[in-house]
Amino acid sequence: MRVLFNSFSAFLRVAIATMMQYRGEIFLWAVWGLINPAVLYAMWSAAAEGNVDQTLAGFDRGQFGAYYFCIMIIGHVTTAWDAYELGYFIRSGSLSPKLLRPILPVWEALAANIAYKVATLAFVVPSWLIFYLIVRPTFSAGLWQISLGLLAVVLAGVLNFVIGYVVALVAFWSPKLDAVGEAYFGMAMMFGGRFAPLEALPWLLKEIALVLPFRWMYAFPAELLMGKIATASEALAGIGMQLVWLAAFVLAFRVGWAAAVKRYTAVSG
Amino acid sequence: MITRAAKLISLYARVNIQNLAAYRFDMYMRIVVSILHLISELMGVWIIFHGTRSVRGWQWQHMLVLVGVYRLVAGGIRIAIVPNMRRLLEDIRNGTLDFVLLRPVNSQFLVSIREVVVYRVADVLLGIFVAGYGCYALRGALPFRESVEFALMLAAGFAIVYAVWLMLGTLCFWFVRVQNIEMVFWNVFEAGRFPIDIYRPQVRWLLTYVIPLAFITTVPAAALIGDEAKIPPSAPLWGFALAGIMLFVSNRFWHFGLRHYSGASA
Repeated sequence: MRVLFNSFSAFLRVAIATMMQYRGEIFLWAVWGLINPAVLYAMWSAAAEGNVDQTLAGFDRGQFGAYYFCIMIIGHVTTAWDAYELGYFIRSGSLSPKLLRPILPVWEALAANIAYKVATLAFVVPSWLIFYLIVRPTFSAGLWQISLGLLAVVLAGVLNFVIGYVVALVAFWSPKLDAVGEAYFGMAMMFGGRFAPLEALPWLLKEIALVLPFRWMYAFPAELLMGKIATASEALAGIGMQLVWLAAFVLAFRVGWAAAVKRYTAVSG
Repeated sequence: MITRAAKLISLYARVNIQNLAAYRFDMYMRIVVSILHLISELMGVWIIFHGTRSVRGWQWQHMLVLVGVYRLVAGGIRIAIVPNMRRLLEDIRNGTLDFVLLRPVNSQFLVSIREVVVYRVADVLLGIFVAGYGCYALRGALPFRESVEFALMLAAGFAIVYAVWLMLGTLCFWFVRVQNIEMVFWNVFEAGRFPIDIYRPQVRWLLTYVIPLAFITTVPAAALIGDEAKIPPSAPLWGFALAGIMLFVSNRFWHFGLRHYSGASA
């Protein structure tokens, strides 16, 4: 445990220093996470105006603003890119030295992930504020919803990281399968509630979204934070579902990682 | 003069096709990914029009046309514009631009034709198919006059994108480390996925006159739809004027940039 803690804090320091060095570049990564929800907000609020009652799937303009404001923040703080990166590490052989260390490479990836979020704060927080001031979202969340919502965001971040890492394990079997990362990302977009609130999906897509884990990473924390989830039991049930999925994927990671490392033969060095 | 230019273009295209043939599997995978992207965009249209009948006057057929145009333009940009500019940035950084400048051909012409990513034609065809279907669903035929207008506006849109990229590439003479410029471009381009009518007036003005995104996807799509309400009648004229001005300015800027280029060990 001590070893883990010491190594992790060392990883974190190195990762933050590295991220700070490439400030400009990582800001560009963050820009998409700002533009995409803003464009979708404009799209959906315009679509709502096309209906007689000015609402769509129970959202009016202000609520779409609140929803996409939450999605913008959640999308940024929960982002993970291992589903793309691990394949590159395997192809280039740079995974080998990482495997020689007495600590799982997943901890180094986690440190890089946290470092990215720390390093981009100074840029994204003002952008969020500007979006808030322009859009003027209507929130109806009470204190309990916000506090449970923040917990849900943290769980969503961990869940996203773990699922992304499990998806990345596919790279051990086929190192040039970037398409898997893309498919994972596209499914999270469609079925997680990033493209549209789940209520707005046609029935078939909604049914699919309800059984997949993605909704617990985006739609659920967003709806909780904006106050769309009205009862404590519904909120707690959602957090319970997040924990169930998390446990399932941690297990999948342990089994998958053991099998993957057994398969791994270094490519160059 | 023109025959020599055509000969050069076909020569480079041939070399690129030969290079591509070496990575066939990768090419098929990329075409599959393109199709998946298109399917997700079509699902997007389905989701939007599940909830409403019209978005600021754009019905589902109109939106299909726009999805097709978006794919077509994105594909066109990836066939020749982005790959050439990517290579230009690399050459400036490595100093290998010298080899281009020493050749007895117009330098701007040469840096713009060296790379052709042929399989992106698949995107263009898919885009034409979807836009054509949207148009057909709207009126049961492909109208001739609107199709010609569409082709013209599309040409103006490509000219604008090309000019923007040439200027971005030229910036590299001063700021060598701008590899991520491509990401900025696609991030902004993302806003053209939907008609600019969805934005509030200030943003719409910005996307028309400051960052002329409107002329790249919305205006060609509206021309094909043939709906006067979607674009003011003066828009085509504006588009052409803007394309001309930007081509001229980017050409001047390129030559200005060249004078600053001193080669970096080659």
